[in-house]
Amino acid sequence: MKFTDAIDLSLRNLRQSRLRTSLTTLGVSIGIASLAGMISLGIGLEDQVVGRFKQSGLFGSITVTSQGDLRGALAQLGQRGGLRTPGARGEGAPSGRAPVELDGDAIQRISALQKVREVTPNLRLPVGATIGGFSSPVIATGTPMSSKGEGAFQTFAYGEFFKDESESDCLLTLDMATRIAEKDTGGLIGKMLTLSYAASQRTRSDVVADGFQVHRMEVQCRIAGIVERNPGAIGPGGALALSGVMLTMGLARAIDVDIVNDAQTLLRDPGSAKTYSAITVKVKQSQYTQDVEDDLRRMGFQAFSIDDALRGAKTAFIVLNIINSLIGSIALTVSLLGIVNTMVMSILERTREIGIMKAIGASDNDIRWIFLGEASVIGLMGGLFGIALSWVVGHVINFGANLYIQSQGGTPGTLFSLPLWLIGAAIAFSILVSLGAGSLPASRAARLDPIQALRHN
Amino acid sequence: MATGVVDCQDLRKHYRIGSTEVRALDGVSMTVFEKEFVALLGRSGSGKSTLLNLIAGLDHPTSGSLRIDGVDLAAMSAEELSRHRQRNVGIIFQSFNLISSMTALENVALSMTFAGLSKRDREIRAAHLLDSMGLAGRQSHRPTELSGGEQQRVAISRALANNPRVLLADEPTGNLDSRTATEIMEVLKDLNVREGKTVILVSHDANLAAQYAHRTIELMDGHIQRMAGS
Repeated sequence: MKFTDAIDLSLRNLRQSRLRTSLTTLGVSIGIASLAGMISLGIGLEDQVVGRFKQSGLFGSITVTSQGDLRGALAQLGQRGGLRTPGARGEGAPSGRAPVELDGDAIQRISALQKVREVTPNLRLPVGATIGGFSSPVIATGTPMSSKGEGAFQTFAYGEFFKDESESDCLLTLDMATRIAEKDTGGLIGKMLTLSYAASQRTRSDVVADGFQVHRMEVQCRIAGIVERNPGAIGPGGALALSGVMLTMGLARAIDVDIVNDAQTLLRDPGSAKTYSAITVKVKQSQYTQDVEDDLRRMGFQAFSIDDALRGAKTAFIVLNIINSLIGSIALTVSLLGIVNTMVMSILERTREIGIMKAIGASDNDIRWIFLGEASVIGLMGGLFGIALSWVVGHVINFGANLYIQSQGGTPGTLFSLPLWLIGAAIAFSILVSLGAGSLPASRAARLDPIQALRHN
Repeated sequence: MATGVVDCQDLRKHYRIGSTEVRALDGVSMTVFEKEFVALLGRSGSGKSTLLNLIAGLDHPTSGSLRIDGVDLAAMSAEELSRHRQRNVGIIFQSFNLISSMTALENVALSMTFAGLSKRDREIRAAHLLDSMGLAGRQSHRPTELSGGEQQRVAISRALANNPRVLLADEPTGNLDSRTATEIMEVLKDLNVREGKTVILVSHDANLAAQYAHRTIELMDGHIQRMAGS
């Protein structure tokens, strides 16, 4: 018998007992809807949490610090006080293993890693910002061009992102801008902001010990844009620490060369390489994060990424999804028993018909396929209706929940998410489990003794 | 006469009902030749229907050999037996055994469905067969809308659908009045004479059998009691 003929006979049988077929299909629909609904709730919640992190632009971004930063600094001080050997680093470090410093050389080595897209030093510069009659100390951060369109730099209240890294441009947070000009905040765009900072100038003498002078430096930068949100303070070492002014990397580097922001800088040997307290490594694809972190640790650095923090959350979501699926499966199991019941009834009613079919040449497999066809059609219909049902219910719950969230001052989001893969998987799963539920009754029908079946009334 | 189409030697079919062993067939040996019309006679429980079911491949013998065209049915798998029922034999029942939800045409076409014919070929052949049985105007009628005689003619059309060499008729006139019974017997005789079908008829009516069959074989308690005819 041809496959299409088996399906044809199955459909004919289902049509004959419309009410029973409809009720069984409804049962499967409810089972699939509850399962798909539970999974889509899990996906929705995960998207809510993980999605926000993704939006922040911190995914696939690793903050690297020197291992034992403090130890390294102390070791340097010790050397300087004693032997004064410029360039020699790490000797005498208490741990025995030399801490690897985050300097230009380290940046080059990290940049050379295969899965790394970009390496930027985290430049946090304590400066004084002056414009018109306003003057305030702020932390200015260096912002690479790659941050464009990421995180806080997605939404500008006024102006736009830097055009070029080499320009002396800056961005302000809306908070900062409002503090400067409450009324005409937008009017700040294009105006010049004066940044002042303490710079050191080393004095060298063969007679007395080395000394240094600190003097005030000033640079001007053009306000290119004002971002709505604060870039936030996530990650140790201040990956994107609270900052009112964001500078192009070009300008930030220029200031960083001679700014005095801590005692370590002051005591630094002029011959030693410039080191950074932290750098940010961006990977080519976020799934490489772990690999690159491992590489960095092997190189002797400390590495931290938002992925680490999210890994725990992801595990929690996997557990949540499993629990959700189990709850959803209860309804599906009940509906599968419905399929078994329907099939057993159908076989009982059609026992004589099965006998006739066998007498005129139907093989055991032909009979089996007819009944499996019935089960799979119920599964397909149940899957389709179930998905439609969960879509409708999900939308109603989304709508209701968002109304409540908004009334509580929260940001509305999608609690139920029904991605295409879930629709496909739910329908395929529905057909598969229906076939499973139908296989036992179908085998029973296939094995019926034709003579006994023909005697059945 | 030609070679044996159905040949059974020392055929036995025993089964148990509770602790009692029933010997439905107990050493039957006979040969049915090609284009022959044979009637199996006997009272209820004599074993004639059991013998027909074995020839039809609906049941397995307990022992002995049963050959159709030289092939032993006892050695066939379930799959091969279903092919045997599909191609070699056409079965006609006393109670017609038509599927009530299907039209006359669909009932006839069904056995060709299992043989793997296309829908178009099935419908053409089924319509032709019904036409030859004088049921041209009854194709789309369901069994409940047909008389007993008409239903049996639909059943005969279905038995002929896959063009088998042997027709097995189990009391085909048992549910019909005498006039219709004669009509159906004429149809079977016609198929035997004109189309050369081998017919094995199970009946308890010795007169009717003698009138149409070349040979009658009388069974009693699972044994052949008497053989008569040419």
